[in-house]
Amino acid sequence: MKFRDVKQPNYRHVGKYTPRKDAKEIVTGKAIFLDDFSLPHMLYARTKRSPYPHAKIVKIDTSAAQALEGVRAVVTGENAPFLSVLGYPVHRTFFEDKVCQVGEPVALVAADSLEIADEAVDLIKVEYEQLPAVFRADLARLDGAPQLYPDRFEHNEVDPGCPYFQPDGAWWQIKRGNPDKALKEAAFVASDKIDFNQMPCPAAPEAPSIIARYEGNEVFTLWASAGSSHIMKLELEAYMPGFTTDIVTFNVGGCYGNKQAMLVQAISASMLAHATKQPVKLILSKAEQLTSFEVRLGSVMDATIGMDKDGIVTAVKGTWFVDNGSVCNATGGQVGVGLGEAQLVLAKCENWFMDSQMVVTNRQQAGIVRGYGGQELNSCLEKLLCAVMQQGNFNPLDVLKKNYVSHGDRYQWRDGRTYRSRSSFFFPEVMQQTADRFGWAEKWKGWMKPTSVNGTKARGVGMGVIGNADVQEDNTECIVRVIPKLDVQNIGGGQCFVTVETDVTESGMGQRSNACKVAAEVFNCPVEWVSITPSGSKFNPSNFGLCGSRGTITTLKPVSEAAADAKRKAMEIASHKLERPVDQLYMKDMVIYVRDTPEINVAVSKLADRELSIVGYGKHTEKFDVPSCMTVFIEVEVDLETGHTEVVRLAGGTDIGQIIDSKALEMQLHGGVGSACLDTAIFEECCLDEASGRPMANSMIDYKWRTFNEIPPYDAYVMESQIDTFMFKAIGIGEISGAALASATLMAISNATGVSVKEYPATPRIVLKAMGKA
Amino acid sequence: MVTKTAVPPQHSKVVIPDSITLVINDRKFKFSVGDGANDVSPSETLLDTLRKRLQFTGSKESCGVGACGCCAVIVNGDAVAACMTLTADLDGKSVTTLEGLEDAKKGLDPIQQAFIDEYAFQCGYCTPGIIMVSKALFMKNAHPTPDEIREALAGNYCRCISHYTVLRALNKVAGNKDAELSNFVRAVDLVEDPIPVAEEMYHSPYANGHVCKHSLD
Repeated sequence: MKFRDVKQPNYRHVGKYTPRKDAKEIVTGKAIFLDDFSLPHMLYARTKRSPYPHAKIVKIDTSAAQALEGVRAVVTGENAPFLSVLGYPVHRTFFEDKVCQVGEPVALVAADSLEIADEAVDLIKVEYEQLPAVFRADLARLDGAPQLYPDRFEHNEVDPGCPYFQPDGAWWQIKRGNPDKALKEAAFVASDKIDFNQMPCPAAPEAPSIIARYEGNEVFTLWASAGSSHIMKLELEAYMPGFTTDIVTFNVGGCYGNKQAMLVQAISASMLAHATKQPVKLILSKAEQLTSFEVRLGSVMDATIGMDKDGIVTAVKGTWFVDNGSVCNATGGQVGVGLGEAQLVLAKCENWFMDSQMVVTNRQQAGIVRGYGGQELNSCLEKLLCAVMQQGNFNPLDVLKKNYVSHGDRYQWRDGRTYRSRSSFFFPEVMQQTADRFGWAEKWKGWMKPTSVNGTKARGVGMGVIGNADVQEDNTECIVRVIPKLDVQNIGGGQCFVTVETDVTESGMGQRSNACKVAAEVFNCPVEWVSITPSGSKFNPSNFGLCGSRGTITTLKPVSEAAADAKRKAMEIASHKLERPVDQLYMKDMVIYVRDTPEINVAVSKLADRELSIVGYGKHTEKFDVPSCMTVFIEVEVDLETGHTEVVRLAGGTDIGQIIDSKALEMQLHGGVGSACLDTAIFEECCLDEASGRPMANSMIDYKWRTFNEIPPYDAYVMESQIDTFMFKAIGIGEISGAALASATLMAISNATGVSVKEYPATPRIVLKAMGKA
Repeated sequence: MVTKTAVPPQHSKVVIPDSITLVINDRKFKFSVGDGANDVSPSETLLDTLRKRLQFTGSKESCGVGACGCCAVIVNGDAVAACMTLTADLDGKSVTTLEGLEDAKKGLDPIQQAFIDEYAFQCGYCTPGIIMVSKALFMKNAHPTPDEIREALAGNYCRCISHYTVLRALNKVAGNKDAELSNFVRAVDLVEDPIPVAEEMYHSPYANGHVCKHSLD
């Protein structure tokens, strides 16, 4: 089948740009983020934190803080109002008699003002007995390494798997075929240990922020800058046993997966709210966000890859060490996705033993970050793939096209079950088309060969591919109501409004507006006539939230099904009123017409019984059989004297099935440049002072980020092959739009410099070291 | 104006007024300066005055050290970081925040409208600062070059990467042609010699029919 033969629907709204529902509020400053919101009688919270990465708490003296005027509560492990636990699997209580990372909370303060809370924190005196610390996952497993939770995790090794995502039992290894035999028979073999271990910070511009209020009867309401009220509720109720939580979210100032749940902050605010019986606002300072909030997983891969003479990967054998930092929170889900994504990239490989080992260390706690395990493993795996491709002198474009998952290929996903891809037939074509637009054929000169050299400046190119079958993960439901405008004067009215009821938080993706858009498409009415309920867990039908690029299918499918259900009901009622069969009717702008005699019609507003609405229901149940694909290309210029790398140009390509909103998609592709993706290969890292265990970047001056005048040109190429997912044939892509950029960047830097640069990030020091100049 | 000294005069020439008057978004505000309950303290930042005292919450607090631009506002024509500016220093000055850009009669500022037209934001948290820095640039130079725009925004952090659409919007306002930093190509637009289809009758295939550009329908 050729792409030109794919049926391309001509939608009224879908595929076009529609300004977001909150666009005017955003550009006029009226959009509400958490810190723009207050409650009466609200107190302000601050946290006393550990200065040591591993230490016993000998004594805490809070007397001076408690005596300070305006202080309403000081909570420590000794007077915590309720028991709270941390970790999935649970492996500790919120307050322990020791600390396991710099920045771990040791006491919480609620006061009448932030200034008083700050002063009180300074008055808390804590005596510590320092313990030896460990900062690398592979070292933490060794005999004699400091033990974080000796009663729970032997050798700091976390129980494998993630029961919530793996109902058939823990899954943490890809095991099939005979990798040893395949490696012996392989034409090309490469082994290496590769780190993607600098645990960069997603650094959302809006800090993690919570307001907690205790309602009595073991119920809390939390207003949160969380990306998903559902995930936050799910995890928080597990970590605060016996309590029920209702979560309300606002516009979220950047999430990138990182602010989905904010459990430590939520528990902190809840404890203070319980202790004071007043609402408590807790907002992390930027220093706290950078040095003690969750960062990207650490990752070390020690593996061997075998490839045949045609460039097909035939064997993968190795271990992936995953650093959780001080607490493991459901990392087994990320590991499952990472292993799944590795199989999508190397889908023709039949011989695997890829083990994984999650480890706790005394580094900053890791958590969910855009890329969700896949980016971490891919950044190691594709770098090792470069070594074996170089041996065979293969063009990486050819290899990645051949090895990527095709329609019908099998793979295991995060639940350990095996799926067969029902996805696009066109992924290799997308890779080729994107490469052609990038000029790959002209720029690719071979391995370790620069594209061009001008004085001390050498240019090189690299590419990467990654995919994700999480685009249909987790269940979601939706109710759509067609609500006639109230007509108290009985003048016949005629107008209807549509309300989409599902729980979607706006953190930048535009899916709240897209939900309205697809409902408007189904009803064939203006998008302005459709609205969506405010985000929050209490009154909305269940929606897991926007993660894993799931929003496109898992939100828009139930919305479109619910809209179609309501529409079907309206058409059936109209059929009786107009005395015509349903298939002779059509709906436009909330009027139902007879097809050949449109003068016979009825307004939808007259179909429902007075005071009632027409209600439709839709749901999505999870599957993992439609993987996405993202191809990226990068050209860099390296100064061979200074080791400085500049990005000259980027290109990205995908088959999205069907574009829902053209500009929203374009920005999801651009997003891979930010949120700890591209620049994790160039300059982004959480620098750790290993002598003290303290993160060294504690402000946005110290933490490096890409500025407006450093943004490289970006070419996006998007195919729409109408993938069989739901009514609108679309899939999501944002989770992985930048996930292959790190490995592609190291490939490009290596080609520019002529030496293999394999350390992330390739700062000038790393580049010069690889070149033997430092 | 009666003034008082913040520190003994032999150590500093800094004088802090007893009261200050500012024009914020065309409204005049007068504050007493001091340590009283409702006074503007000498250490109060403009950001706190705007957000906490006056509920102009459009300006966002983010880095707190003047590095990210989320809190940018315009003071006497210049973009400044409100988190690094002391309110007590602004006596007699004019402050414009994002809330003050929309004209009651003319509607949205052209920059605001361009941001909507080009979808020049994602999460929107950094957008207020980006718009205000852009506005300050355009107030001084109605037709900045693409490079001048990029340079002006070099202090504005955006983690979602709205950069490309922001620059698209601002280049449009500036009248810069051929300044596009990103291309977005839909494969369907490149299909050569598309297969002719029936004349379009209905807009939406799922609403009331099925029409395709390139199919045999």
